[in-house]
Amino acid sequence: MVRITTLGIIGRFAVALVAVVVIQGILSFKFKVFGYFDLPLICSVYYGFTLGNPVASIVIGSALGLMQDSLSGAVLGTNGFSKTLIGFVAASAGSKFNVDQPITRVFALFLFTIGDGLLVSILGLMVDSRSGTTYSSALGGWILSATFNTLLGLILFGYHDRWGNATT
Amino acid sequence: MSRVIVASKRPIWIALSIALLIHTGLISVQAGHRFDTRFVRMWLLDSLAPLEKLVDRSLYGIVYVWDSYFALIGVHQENEQLKQQVDELKLQLEKRREDVVEVQRLRTLLSIQDTGIGRTVVSRVIGRDPGRANQTVTIDKGLSHGVKPDSAVITADGIVGRVIHSSNFFSIVQLVIDSQSAVGVILESTRRQGVLKGNGSRELELEYIDDDNDLKEGLKFITSGQDRIYPKGLQVGLITLVGPRRGLLRTVQVRPAADLDRLEEVICILDHPQNVDVADPALGPPTP
Repeated sequence: MVRITTLGIIGRFAVALVAVVVIQGILSFKFKVFGYFDLPLICSVYYGFTLGNPVASIVIGSALGLMQDSLSGAVLGTNGFSKTLIGFVAASAGSKFNVDQPITRVFALFLFTIGDGLLVSILGLMVDSRSGTTYSSALGGWILSATFNTLLGLILFGYHDRWGNATT
Repeated sequence: MSRVIVASKRPIWIALSIALLIHTGLISVQAGHRFDTRFVRMWLLDSLAPLEKLVDRSLYGIVYVWDSYFALIGVHQENEQLKQQVDELKLQLEKRREDVVEVQRLRTLLSIQDTGIGRTVVSRVIGRDPGRANQTVTIDKGLSHGVKPDSAVITADGIVGRVIHSSNFFSIVQLVIDSQSAVGVILESTRRQGVLKGNGSRELELEYIDDDNDLKEGLKFITSGQDRIYPKGLQVGLITLVGPRRGLLRTVQVRPAADLDRLEEVICILDHPQNVDVADPALGPPTP
């Protein structure tokens, strides 16, 4: 019985993670502005903060990143590496800081997005020095992306908190 | 938010190390081309892209119902205008058919190789890069339809990009505006050859041209066929900006002829006649 429940939880997580990556791909295609959002990153940070289980956060971040790589033309493993680290750092931060505070979430989402962009670019450049855009345009894009992710993350975190409180 | 306290930190570091090692290994083998990782991408693409297609088709269905039943007000008048246009175009088409027959006859006489675009397959764009690092789209045709890496992808308006990864039923297309994309071009008016490069923004940049003195806004670039990806003579884009000289070349920006923000159906060229015998050394090998 316990095993069935565990499998059910893992299954639900798997479906949710696949849905996040697919929705990101579809929305980026339908609405240009959605290219600046990064749902897998927000998801990695959210689960890192809320699960309280760094191993699960690492697995979630890793899976999200790898799926993101496979649906883009990116080098396999770049987003996987970055999201793994983000999942781990978010889980570690979740056990040390009060991540229920909006200000903590704002800082975390903003910094994680910048860090993700930087890491993915560095790893991409290590494989192919021609990849990536110019540093000035990349930095502008990261800041814009970080702002959008922070806003969307705050809304989604708030919604999940309310929904979580309502069901407990 | 409730959090579970983890008793020992050792499993965390083991899990982190394993995950990072897997990703580092994947990156490393792709960098060194020591091991073929295509099967990993093919498997992931074939697993995820059907879901993407399902969501895309559902959204398409909703839009179709809206467009077919609710957005038809005032269509009668437009229909009459279109009928008139169709009649005019039919006349023009008849004239063009005669021209085509004449060109084919002249080609035969002069023994010039046909530079048509060869076999094609129409595919639907079902998604875009879920990250921001690459300018790529996912299409619903793959190896089983004859679409393979380096197949050119176009629309009626102009070139779109080239296939960089193919699974059995889906492919990833690198758009011409991607920072790793380069296209061999000819300036339509002066026939000067050059290379246009993507930079990740919405426009292309001129990387090289024989002579940039006669460049001005509004001039059109077409494919040269020298990159051995795109057949010769396809629309690439219009010059939108001719800036000051930076080093040897002027800064020239080109807006792609195809509307890359509104891609729905695209045409994949499965094979095309090799209309160029010697590759341009300025282009170098196709980017991976």
